[in-house]
Amino acid sequence: MDTFAALSQGLMVALQPINLLFAFVGVMLGTAVGVLPGIGPALTVALLLPITFKLDPAGSLIMFAGIYYGGMYGGSTASILLNTPGESSSIVTALEGNKMARAGRGGPALATAAIGSFVAGTIATIGLALVAPTVVDIAISFGPEDYFALMVLAFTTVSAAFGSSVTRGLTSLFIGLSLGLIGIDLQSGQARLSFGIPDLLDGVEVTTLAVALFAIGETLSVVAAGSRADEIIEPVKGSVFMNREDWKRSWKPWLRGTVLGFPIGAMPAGGAEIPTFLSYALEKRLCRKPDEFGNGAIEGVAGPEAANNAAAAGVLVPLLTLGLPTSATAAIMLAGFQQYGLNPGPLLFVSNPDLVWGLIASLFIANGMLLILNLPLVGLWVRLLAIPRPWLYGGILVFATLGTLGANPSLVELGMLLIFGLLGYVLRRYDYPIAPVVVGLILGPLAEQQLRRALAISVGDPTVLFQSPIALALYALSALALFGPLLFFLITGRKAPVGGDED
Amino acid sequence: MSDPTPTSARRPDKAGFVIAFGLAALALVVGWDAWRLASVNAHSAVGPAAFPTIIAAGLAALAVATAVEALRAGPVDRPRDEMGPMAWVLAGLVGQIALLPFLGFSIATGWLFAATAKGFGRGPVWAHFLAGTVMCFIIYVIFAKGLQLSLPAGPIERLI
Amino acid sequence: MNHMLRGALLAAAFTAASLGTASAQVGDLKIIAPAAPGGGWDQTARAMQQVLQSEKLAANAQVMNVPGAGGTIGLAQFVNGSKGDPNVLLVGGYVMVGAIITNKSPVNLSMVTPIARLTGEYEAIAVPANSPLKSMADLVAALKADPQKVSWAGGSAGGTDHITAGLIAKAIGVDPTKVNYIAFSGGGESLASILGGKVTVGISSLSEFDAQAKAGKLRLLGVSSAERLPEAKDVPTFKESGVDVEIQNWRSVSAAPGITEEQKKQLTETIGKMVQSKAWKDLLAQKGWVDTYLSGPAFAEQLAKDVTATQSVLKDIGLAN
Repeated sequence: MDTFAALSQGLMVALQPINLLFAFVGVMLGTAVGVLPGIGPALTVALLLPITFKLDPAGSLIMFAGIYYGGMYGGSTASILLNTPGESSSIVTALEGNKMARAGRGGPALATAAIGSFVAGTIATIGLALVAPTVVDIAISFGPEDYFALMVLAFTTVSAAFGSSVTRGLTSLFIGLSLGLIGIDLQSGQARLSFGIPDLLDGVEVTTLAVALFAIGETLSVVAAGSRADEIIEPVKGSVFMNREDWKRSWKPWLRGTVLGFPIGAMPAGGAEIPTFLSYALEKRLCRKPDEFGNGAIEGVAGPEAANNAAAAGVLVPLLTLGLPTSATAAIMLAGFQQYGLNPGPLLFVSNPDLVWGLIASLFIANGMLLILNLPLVGLWVRLLAIPRPWLYGGILVFATLGTLGANPSLVELGMLLIFGLLGYVLRRYDYPIAPVVVGLILGPLAEQQLRRALAISVGDPTVLFQSPIALALYALSALALFGPLLFFLITGRKAPVGGDED
Repeated sequence: MSDPTPTSARRPDKAGFVIAFGLAALALVVGWDAWRLASVNAHSAVGPAAFPTIIAAGLAALAVATAVEALRAGPVDRPRDEMGPMAWVLAGLVGQIALLPFLGFSIATGWLFAATAKGFGRGPVWAHFLAGTVMCFIIYVIFAKGLQLSLPAGPIERLI
Repeated sequence: MNHMLRGALLAAAFTAASLGTASAQVGDLKIIAPAAPGGGWDQTARAMQQVLQSEKLAANAQVMNVPGAGGTIGLAQFVNGSKGDPNVLLVGGYVMVGAIITNKSPVNLSMVTPIARLTGEYEAIAVPANSPLKSMADLVAALKADPQKVSWAGGSAGGTDHITAGLIAKAIGVDPTKVNYIAFSGGGESLASILGGKVTVGISSLSEFDAQAKAGKLRLLGVSSAERLPEAKDVPTFKESGVDVEIQNWRSVSAAPGITEEQKKQLTETIGKMVQSKAWKDLLAQKGWVDTYLSGPAFAEQLAKDVTATQSVLKDIGLAN
């Protein structure tokens, strides 16, 4: 294998001072747009394509790699500090991360997110370099029925992990599922729950809902609490950086998150959100202090952050090996390749090895650069929380609406932000968990489409759902997630350690 | 999660009932839409109405469960929310939507900033409005020049 | 940033220099892209912006994104908000024709002033390399035997891919409502299902399949153009195979309703000059777009034909009434 020779060749290219500069510009831009909800790496790369055309291919691809990974870091920073998920894959991070930040542990939260992203990104990039062809064969073999089984697994594990009251958790989930119905149904082309409003035909944007529920709902709750909530947010309590215990509690979630994120990210319909949900549920199950979940458990930041970055590298597997763009960013990267007359596809590794390896090498560089840039900044970032509350929350609302407006300057979109913000306030006020609403919006349509695809291909024969070994294995895992605690109780006679309250 | 505090007087939790009612209403809307879709066309095994029907049924069941729980729990003591400050923040958000098409991004969002700050007890509104507008104008310029994205423009933005 | 500054300086220099030859130049142009930044229409709008400015055809051009509902939200805003304004253009395309019908949009393309068709793509049908279907004739036979058994992977229901599948069924005398069409939300996802052999055939624009076909992983059965395409010379057209379907997924530019003949003529001239410029041709080559420029009455006629055909096939599929 000359993989390592090719990779080191790529590293040599990426390490040239001018390319390092491109990487730096890329990660800075990526972080900046990652912080803004609604505006992500895909949009940024798309807008920069015409400008970067004047650069050489290596330089601009290195910059794109920087933007790509930078967006992930920016998304989690906003989630943790401002409770404003910048990207849909960093929604889960906000759950525990923001709780930690409010308890003066924003430093460790940001650090575990940064180091976890680095670890996961590095391992996943190595995976991309070494096992991409194998992984992609497995990923391609996933049919709609297998994806449906994966969604079932996500539903069962995730709903077990949110909140202690079944009625309340399910209520939130069903509100999310209802919102997921809005818009044109992909399979039949029929408009659902749109009431003749054209702006609703494209459905509810995940980031719009998440930002409204988290950031605006939270702002309304805090302002309504008035003097009750008047404790000052302490930006730093204890160490700014991770202590020994934080390390001990973080490293396993990082690895588990990577293992979940990379393969699911590589699947053409996997995405980066599902692994973060699964990782959160898994960490909650495995955590020794489950009652900390909901109050700022570091595992709940470390795992999902690792999963999300590993998935980001996983997305590049089908892109580089088959030329399949399976995410918005990948589609734009493909356009970037085409701009230089390259045809990504099964032949890219053979026809343009220098470029592919240059890109993989620049992913390493971007990842390392982000870690080096972000860790010293942690102390500075958490100072954001020392901003007096009126300005902090004013700024959060400006940010939240800015991101939405940048991607879609529509008043209806702003109206949705307001309505869902009120929904978030009501849910908080009456102790309903927030996260299942977003989960329902993301997973509901996916599950429905995959099920209907499977049944349409089989011309209505439902047995197709239980014929594939992959699907059966996933159903077995779901059953374990549902009934595992019960079995545990029956066998050992003591109650399984289940998660505590969420929010 | 707040502890339900059962009292001797068997009065139900009013908020719980309102929520149950809301869920029932949502179930009706989703169910009605599903019914409408079911009559449109069905030449596939599972049509567009199947999932809405399941979701509507689930919402209806949850409405009943919520009502039952409200009945059992009795009144819950929730701290009073302060409506004044909240009204300021809401006025900020609504005002932004109303001002945006006429006065552009900077002024509308400057108002949002000022109203939110006022809601959190920091005035004067006009000073915050000015500061917010300047800040948002800088953001507008960065977006327009750096990203080539045009945010809604108003009189100030047209100056550049 | 440096680049922007330079751009601004150049633009200033151009405006100063072009004062004498200002006849063909329009002033401040606003180009509405009825899609989110990054998509095909947005890229078209930005390409126009770039060339119009660099070729001094417009003093200044600005792109505005109004995404949503297959472009019909942008169209509605354009029809209602820009009446009689000669300085606003709307990018659009064939997808909009279908979206107007399926979304029951209150505004349609007859309410704007069509200027020109700019670029276009053709649809192609692909099967995995190991598929028993070797040619268009095999597919036709399979469809005639049992249309339900042939599953098609493509984009969203009612979109160009679905319409093409419906037209093919209709052309060979198969009930279009029986077409077993499986909609996928992204090109990668549907391509994966074709490569993985989950569906019988895939239908999409040729560019989506090109790389896989060249690598021998997919076999192309036919394309929707009138004549064989230079980038796929050995692939027969649908017509050659006896399936009378010809369809182009085009992108166009329109002007506001209610402008004068004079203004329309000037805009048509400006766009005509843009299309002929080397900068535009280079840009098309770079993006892999095919120039299918058509303007004036010829374009209007083509548009009317497309609208009628689409309306009727969508009705057949059951998506319009």
